[in-house]
Amino acid sequence: MTRSARSAWAQAALVVICLLLVFAALDAALAQPFGMSRNTAPVEVGGFTGWILAKQAEFYRQFSGLIRAAKTDGSAAYTLMGISFLYGIFHAAGPGHGKAVISSYLVANDETWRRGVVLSFASAILQAITAIALVGIAAVLLGATAKMMGDTVRIIETVSYALIILIGLRLLWVKGRAFLRLLRAEKHEHHAHDHGHDHAHAHDHAHGHSHAHEHAHGQPHGQPHGHAHDHGHHHHDHEDEASAWGHAHAPEPQELAGQHWLRRGLAAIVAVGLRPCSGAIIVLVFALAQGIFWIGVASTFVMGIGTAITVTAIATIAVAARQFAGRLAKGKPGIGMLLIRGLETAAALVIIVFGVALLTGYMISERMMGV
Amino acid sequence: MFKRLALVATLLVAASVAQAHPHVWVTMKTELVYDGEGHITGVRQKWSFDDMFSAFATQGLESKEKGKFTREELAPLAKVNVESLKEFDYFTYVTADGKKTALSDPAPDYYLDYNDAVLTLNFTLPLKTPVKAKELRVEMYDPTIFVDFAFAKQNPVSMAGGKGCKADVVVPREMTFEESKKLSEIPADQTNTTMAWGAQFANRILVHCP
Repeated sequence: MTRSARSAWAQAALVVICLLLVFAALDAALAQPFGMSRNTAPVEVGGFTGWILAKQAEFYRQFSGLIRAAKTDGSAAYTLMGISFLYGIFHAAGPGHGKAVISSYLVANDETWRRGVVLSFASAILQAITAIALVGIAAVLLGATAKMMGDTVRIIETVSYALIILIGLRLLWVKGRAFLRLLRAEKHEHHAHDHGHDHAHAHDHAHGHSHAHEHAHGQPHGQPHGHAHDHGHHHHDHEDEASAWGHAHAPEPQELAGQHWLRRGLAAIVAVGLRPCSGAIIVLVFALAQGIFWIGVASTFVMGIGTAITVTAIATIAVAARQFAGRLAKGKPGIGMLLIRGLETAAALVIIVFGVALLTGYMISERMMGV
Repeated sequence: MFKRLALVATLLVAASVAQAHPHVWVTMKTELVYDGEGHITGVRQKWSFDDMFSAFATQGLESKEKGKFTREELAPLAKVNVESLKEFDYFTYVTADGKKTALSDPAPDYYLDYNDAVLTLNFTLPLKTPVKAKELRVEMYDPTIFVDFAFAKQNPVSMAGGKGCKADVVVPREMTFEESKKLSEIPADQTNTTMAWGAQFANRILVHCP
């Protein structure tokens, strides 16, 4: 291997390691693995994370006193909003709130930072709405018990985790095939230089067509999904042409990547936002019991904004890493694009693994106790 | 460029062990039950929940008098609570002379009380086999920190029988910042050390018998 190729591998490896660390961090942050033996002593608490933990508990503990005070004292309501915001920020550092799914999604789709912000905020606000709707409908209108609400949450969980798996599978399909195609194209190029280019080119066109067809067949969902898929495919067809040529360093065509990103992202927003925060549910029910449900609603929305900020921060790291990797890849024809597709495929796999772990109960996103 | 990446990587590793925080606070009173021959036969628990969880748990329950619940009205909720606690070993761990001691499911006379907006669960955990031990250790904690256990300030522990035995309550002390820092410096792969360290901060009853 030449020295430049070696350094390319080294840089790419560093990028992969960084992304893996992001995912590992999110993974640990998200999970309460029940694989962990329950007979162990209390979980070890590191210095920095122990501080985050303590802060979360501190803010949460203040809710009951503030809610009771807010019944008669207006200024207590303002303090409650402030604490809710801080709680949202710190609490999102713990399990749940879709950090890993959103970030992996952004990496796999190479979304821009601005879109990452929109997706993060939309999912966090949706989580707040879901909690409010759950308590509002179940508790207020139907007089449901905590157990019934818990059962409802479990149904919502199942839907949410299944959606996550579906999103991951779709991404794996798109990115995985692109990766394999590039792998084959790379091998062709190494064998026959001149012929290799034409070969790979023809290869691509043929694949492009069959691809679109396969998807048209395999798409039982409604129209919007079909459109998103077709556009997604056109997008990577163009990219693959650029890399198959090997020497074309033209920037990836962004126009087709741009359209329908919100529609595609909607699935991710819903998958993550569907599952309400159990802390918010408890706070809402308590506010309801105190006769000030609307203050509970306001508090939940403010929590959602705090959560959104934390999720956005993590998403920013993911997008930055992905863009860094993209810039590296542009300088390394062939191999670079291959590594990028490999990264995106890995991100899709991460989403699937998360969804499966959550669905099978191996990983616990959050827990409702005793009900 | 690489320095920046290295910094980000370090921050991520540092942040990587975040967990849940308590959503439920339990104030507990524990009674150790002995038979006539000095064997411990069971652990009787009296757990009072915080006001937010008490309101949440009693949400939607029917009661003759608004804001008040009788034991009978709370019976179905008590059943749900006890059955879901089983999955978590009732958060109670007993060690007799260094050996882990198994507990059975609660005796059927468990019940919930509701007083002053506080829900209290009363239940007895019988030992699978009554045991006579010189040193008995009873610990209550949730390893996932979803539930925060604390002994009641007054009379947290009592003994029914067990003449001559002396019970000491070890109340967990707050980890100082230096201790938390020291804890974080322990390499991640030395989990046994960290577990043992963490156990120092559990709610524990130590009983010494002749």
